Amino acid sequence: MITVTNLKKQYKEAVVLDVESLEIPKGECFGLVGNNGAGKTTLFRIMLDLVRPTSGEVSLEGHVVNQGEEWKKFTGAYLDEHMLLSYLTPDEYFETLRKIHGLSEADLQVHLEKFAELFNDEVRGKKKYIRDLSKGNLKKVGIAAALLGNPEVVFLDEPFENLDPSSQIRLKKLISKEKDEFKRTFLISSHDLNHVTEICDRIVLLEKGKIIRDLSEKSEMMRELEAYFVG
Amino acid sequence: MTNIFLGFIILLLLSYLLLAGLFLGRIIENFAEGQDPIAFLNSFLIFYFLTEFLYRYFIQNLPVVDLESLLHLPVGKRKIMHLLLIRSFISPLNIIALLIFLPFSIQSIAPEFGSMGALGWIGSLVLTSWILHWFMLWFKQRFEDSTLGLIIVMAVLVLGGGSTYLGWYNLDELTQPIFDLAVNSILPLAVLSLVFVGSYWLCFRYHVDNAYLEDLSSDNDSQVRGQSIGFLSRFGLAGELANVEWKLIVRHKKSRTYLMLSAFFLLYGLIFYTNPAYASEDGGISFIFVFVGVFITGIFMIQYGQLFLSWNSGSFDFYLNRKDGVEQLVRGKYLLFISISVICFLASVPYVYFGWQILLVHIATFLFNIGVLIHVIIYLALWKPKPMDLNKGAMFNYEGVGAAQWLMVIPMMILPYVIYLPFALLINDFAGLAALAIFGLFGILFYKKLSALNIRRVYQNKYEISSSFRQEL
Repeated sequence: MITVTNLKKQYKEAVVLDVESLEIPKGECFGLVGNNGAGKTTLFRIMLDLVRPTSGEVSLEGHVVNQGEEWKKFTGAYLDEHMLLSYLTPDEYFETLRKIHGLSEADLQVHLEKFAELFNDEVRGKKKYIRDLSKGNLKKVGIAAALLGNPEVVFLDEPFENLDPSSQIRLKKLISKEKDEFKRTFLISSHDLNHVTEICDRIVLLEKGKIIRDLSEKSEMMRELEAYFVG
Repeated sequence: MTNIFLGFIILLLLSYLLLAGLFLGRIIENFAEGQDPIAFLNSFLIFYFLTEFLYRYFIQNLPVVDLESLLHLPVGKRKIMHLLLIRSFISPLNIIALLIFLPFSIQSIAPEFGSMGALGWIGSLVLTSWILHWFMLWFKQRFEDSTLGLIIVMAVLVLGGGSTYLGWYNLDELTQPIFDLAVNSILPLAVLSLVFVGSYWLCFRYHVDNAYLEDLSSDNDSQVRGQSIGFLSRFGLAGELANVEWKLIVRHKKSRTYLMLSAFFLLYGLIFYTNPAYASEDGGISFIFVFVGVFITGIFMIQYGQLFLSWNSGSFDFYLNRKDGVEQLVRGKYLLFISISVICFLASVPYVYFGWQILLVHIATFLFNIGVLIHVIIYLALWKPKPMDLNKGAMFNYEGVGAAQWLMVIPMMILPYVIYLPFALLINDFAGLAALAIFGLFGILFYKKLSALNIRRVYQNKYEISSSFRQEL
């Protein structure tokens, strides 16, 4: 269970985020949509304790995020390249993560096997630094890293961006499978309405930092969102 | 702020050069009494140009870094290249020759050979300097960051310095006639003008022919370099992150240069320890040796440590997002700094050849460095760290350097003396060294507490650091 209460982020006068209350039950796939500047990434960053909230708090499974680091053990995230070690090769990077998470080599193999289809032989075993990968492959490395270590909660910012159509479909399958099999909670922000409505149980629409729609009815989602975005 | 400071320094250096130029005639008279000053200077010019070759190699920037943003514009490639090359020409480096030699040509050559002679001479000199400019653009682009380029530069250094010293042959005899002729005849000026145009053309052709991004990219790392150091893995997660940091150092141009400089500074002692001005008969220690010792055994932590977190500006969120990630990152850096310090200390042991007291200096300063100075450097470096691009060269690249990095030099220089001098003056030099060593040992004893202070400092400022690294501020 993730709870956000009275969360506010203000830069001088400008309020960029103002979420009174938000609860995300365990195992839910939570989609976050909104136009540029709506506050999606800021919300994720505050939830991951990368940005200091002006007021309010976020707690993951009972741990308040800015009061300790316990929650980091069961949380995975990929928001942008700053979360990678881009001067390593993908293999070195996964190996480093394996040691950080204290996994065995077999664990890592099993984990990466799940991504074999998504990686499409373009990521592993290559003598190439992450920084030299294409944007799509960079994203795949980040997503695979976020899911490493059996996290209960996974944050993904624009996971479909820069992926080719086949990879987008493979990623959707992968997320659904992870969610169903391991009861992982997914928080996904995206501009791709088709994809989020397809995989998410619930979609929240942000506008200027405020939640203006909270949709859980699959049949309603697409219509409501289209109505909003077409304007 | 840094830019203003840099501009000021450049102006200052240029004015020193002008001053040196104004007194060049008199300096030569002092050095070469009874010789013809013009002939003497002409025989010396080859060394001036060799030096120029070297500093141009290290300092001169390639104009093509902006190419990526221009190539797609509806402007011809040749036009863009002309523009970039001409822009590269407008640089303080290209007026150095003028500043140094113009006064001499007016003061000494004009009275003897007339204004045409003076013009021919200074013109030949300046043109030679400018030919070097175009040559260097081609040379650096051709051998960018490759070992071959460095070997050629070293060869030039050895040939230039060694030949005349060891008397293989006299380099000055090669070029002196050209400049001797230049005061009497317009011929050298004319020929050099042609060479100047030719060198520009060659440089231009090379750049146009290679004006594709993949040819001009500055760092084409086709193979992966830098492997893990097994020894570090013994230190758990911190050791693992020290290994990752080691890869960072080896795989980026800027940090590689810092590492090479550290190796270079090991030779620093040769300048001081061999200098009779610092030798003392009573077996004591010149007080400057403390400074030299701090430098030799701690150069890497002083240089690399200055930009402590900026090195990780591209992946700071990675560490923030792991449990104890930041703590392990800082501990990993400590581990790396101490390891390299140990290596520098061991490598500096042969200095004992210049006296056993130098070994004592190195032991004391080494202990002081890893016990005390390391914490001070890191503490100061955590003052508003700035992001930087690690793939740019290190020379005259002040990205990531803020006011703190300039100012922190002061406590780093003073602190060893604050401890050393009272004991050295009141008792004797060795008591001063002992004090340094004891402070260092205490620092090592309290390593956990002291490093925890710095780690806490990172945690306290993590939001500011993280958003500044994401360039949001």
